Amino acid sequence: MGSDEKFDCGRRRLMAAAAAAGSVAGVAAATATLIPFVASMKPSEQAKAAGAPVEVDISRLKPGQMMTVEWRGKPVWIINRSPEMLETLKKTNAKVSDPNSERSLQPNYCKNETRSIKPGIMVAVGVCTHLGCSPTANFRKGVESGIDAEWAGGFYCPCHGSTYDLAGRVFKDKLAPDNLEIPPYKYFGDAKIIIGEETKGA
Amino acid sequence: MSIANTKLGGLVAWIDERTPLTATWKSATRLAGYYAPKNVTFWYLFGTLAIVVLVSQLITGIFLTMHYKPNTSLNESGIPLAFASVEYIMRDVPWGWLIRYLHSTGASVLLILVYLHMFRSILFSVYQKPRELTWLLGMAIFIGLAAQTFVGYLMPWGQLSFWAAQVIINAFSQLPFLGQDFTIWLRGDYVVSDATLNRFFSFHVIAFPAALLWLLIHHVPHTVKDIRYFLAFLIVCVAVIFFRPEAGGYFLEYNNFTQANPLQTPQHIAPLWYFTSYYSILRSITYPLFSIDAKLWGVLGMFASMLIFALLPWLDKSSGKTIRQKGPIFKLALALFVVAFAALSYLGTVPTDPQRLLLAQICTFIYFAFFLLMPIYSRMDKPRSNEGRGAR
Amino acid sequence: MNKLFIRQILIALLVMPFSAMAVGIDIQLDRAPDRSHDQAALQHGARVFTKYCLTCHSASFMRYNRLRDIGFTEQQIKDELMYATEKIGEPMKVVMRRADAQRWFGVVPPDHSVTVRARTSALGPGEDWIYTYLRSFYRDPMRPSGWNNLVFQNVAMHHVLWEFQGEQVLEGDPSGKTHKLKLVTPGKLSPAEYDNLVADLVAYLKYMSEPSAGPRKEVGIYVLIALFVLLAFAIVLKPGFIKLEKRP
Repeated sequence: MGSDEKFDCGRRRLMAAAAAAGSVAGVAAATATLIPFVASMKPSEQAKAAGAPVEVDISRLKPGQMMTVEWRGKPVWIINRSPEMLETLKKTNAKVSDPNSERSLQPNYCKNETRSIKPGIMVAVGVCTHLGCSPTANFRKGVESGIDAEWAGGFYCPCHGSTYDLAGRVFKDKLAPDNLEIPPYKYFGDAKIIIGEETKGA
Repeated sequence: MSIANTKLGGLVAWIDERTPLTATWKSATRLAGYYAPKNVTFWYLFGTLAIVVLVSQLITGIFLTMHYKPNTSLNESGIPLAFASVEYIMRDVPWGWLIRYLHSTGASVLLILVYLHMFRSILFSVYQKPRELTWLLGMAIFIGLAAQTFVGYLMPWGQLSFWAAQVIINAFSQLPFLGQDFTIWLRGDYVVSDATLNRFFSFHVIAFPAALLWLLIHHVPHTVKDIRYFLAFLIVCVAVIFFRPEAGGYFLEYNNFTQANPLQTPQHIAPLWYFTSYYSILRSITYPLFSIDAKLWGVLGMFASMLIFALLPWLDKSSGKTIRQKGPIFKLALALFVVAFAALSYLGTVPTDPQRLLLAQICTFIYFAFFLLMPIYSRMDKPRSNEGRGAR
Repeated sequence: MNKLFIRQILIALLVMPFSAMAVGIDIQLDRAPDRSHDQAALQHGARVFTKYCLTCHSASFMRYNRLRDIGFTEQQIKDELMYATEKIGEPMKVVMRRADAQRWFGVVPPDHSVTVRARTSALGPGEDWIYTYLRSFYRDPMRPSGWNNLVFQNVAMHHVLWEFQGEQVLEGDPSGKTHKLKLVTPGKLSPAEYDNLVADLVAYLKYMSEPSAGPRKEVGIYVLIALFVLLAFAIVLKPGFIKLEKRP
């Protein structure tokens, strides 16, 4: 009996070790099998390749007007801000949650008071930083805007009520955490903007 | 006993001997240790009807899949093929309109039945020991159905389809550790696009139905089979399908008859009615807490409000097994919860303003208080002298 | 007493959100007359649509031969309604290229196959919206087209039916509550006749948005009758439960 037990003990240990190794191998094999399936759901080469720069003619955009173009499937706004509209940015400075765009997304050459290359022309990705709706432009002032009496013009997101000023800076105590994203862009002459290409040396 | 009945019984017995189907059914039933209370047939009907509707969804789904195209590219008139193929079903496919309305109405009716089924579960505390597992399986079905209707809602590729997917997928980006990479993986692209539509189609017609059926077989302990109830239920459904298929914009939203436009969010968007309560909770949480953004709290609140039902077996300490035996405190709490749920559902369908926001915040508080305070107030009711009688 | 009080609170809580609803709408839609069963009106509407709307707006889900539903013969459809295509099985497409439309109008004129359904909102049914819209154009020199619309401010479309309605001008502020449209130059039709024309067009658009609506309601009645008969049998015969399993 005794010797049998000893023998059994050793065998049991061997079995346990084999089982453990087997399980590890099994789990590893299962994980390895999962990898291609999980990875197959990542953006394909085609999706990654999409998103060529977009050329926009802004010669017909008058002060106070705005146009929308599609870039990488997202709306990009181009707004010709009048001097009066730019003036409102000084007033909203104290009311926005990230006035200097410290934690917001923009190219370095747009990290300034107007968040643009030329003060008048604003280029921004028209996607709310909360959950990705596209806010609505509301350039009317005060009560007439339907937002509040102190409204100086800006953007209102219909989904969850976040509001942005005319530089795309989000107002305090709203659900959206950051200012609107500014895409990389550059000027090609005075009347053309290329969205999606960096301005070099700026 | 009619002759037809005996014959049918014979047929069932014949099948019984040759298949493991009812045996599986029975063993699953026994596993759950489930006893059906007497005289409560009405309240137990909803689960059975939900199965009937689910089967109808599967069948109509098979036929819709024959004609639907999950493709976002534009046809020569500038309309996405997916959107156009739904209208093709509505017009060019013989009886296609009926199959589509059966499917779209079925989705809403299914959720109505599931909510009623959950309500009666709380009424009768059916989740108490030893039925926790059945309850958890049921909760998995609930979450599965929510996921199933969510991906299905993208199929028509209308304005609301697109923006609902956009908002909810972005909500996931807020969850800790998952973040942006997860949403890109889920979409298969950097924006909601053709890749997203195709994988949602795959989930909707293969992955989720298979998972739901598996869960269902392990969950269902008992079915009610009374043809009179079935017919009465069918009459209500038929009235909706044939005379008010949009149900006033609740079952089929009017905005969704406009094709998806990724550049413009509609002035007013809301999810389908069965998600609006959770959506209200998302909107109502606007305070940052513990140095975490309000944005994250809102998203966590939304997911928590759906998942918290799963904790009921451990929260409910009441000794009464049916609502008649439960004390006034539990009844009041449940009534308040139902009112809060209904109010949140309504508030989620309309644009928000400060007054409504406050109301939504109060209701959100009641919603969570109902669950989190349950271990306290469910103990406060005095057990009745006839406790235990009729519970089985 | 106590119970009654609780009930009152519950009712108040339920009603509260609804009372907050009636704010923020300042456009009143006129009711479009229901002409869904008036075949002459539908046919007139179809003629107006193919002649005046179809130059810019497609109805790409609507096939010409489907117009037989509202009483046209195949010959009539070919001779009197088809301007843009040869084949009767074709849908109603426009000749204009989308890129050109974008350049000319700044926006591609939308497809109108399902417009009536899409235009339904808190303001009212889609047919009411279109009925009011088509009657609310007014002269506005500030707009590139020379026209503006009360229901759809700064719309890109000009008043295609202006010859029939004439020219209206706006009195008062469009964002205020005192605005009113006034007819200054009468058109070929009197106001009542013009309303009638628009009503016919809207009836057609509504038909086109869901051609199966007619058969749907008809079939629905038969299905309901059949179900009620079955229910009556079920109640009288009491077949009761068909038991698949015995409870322990």
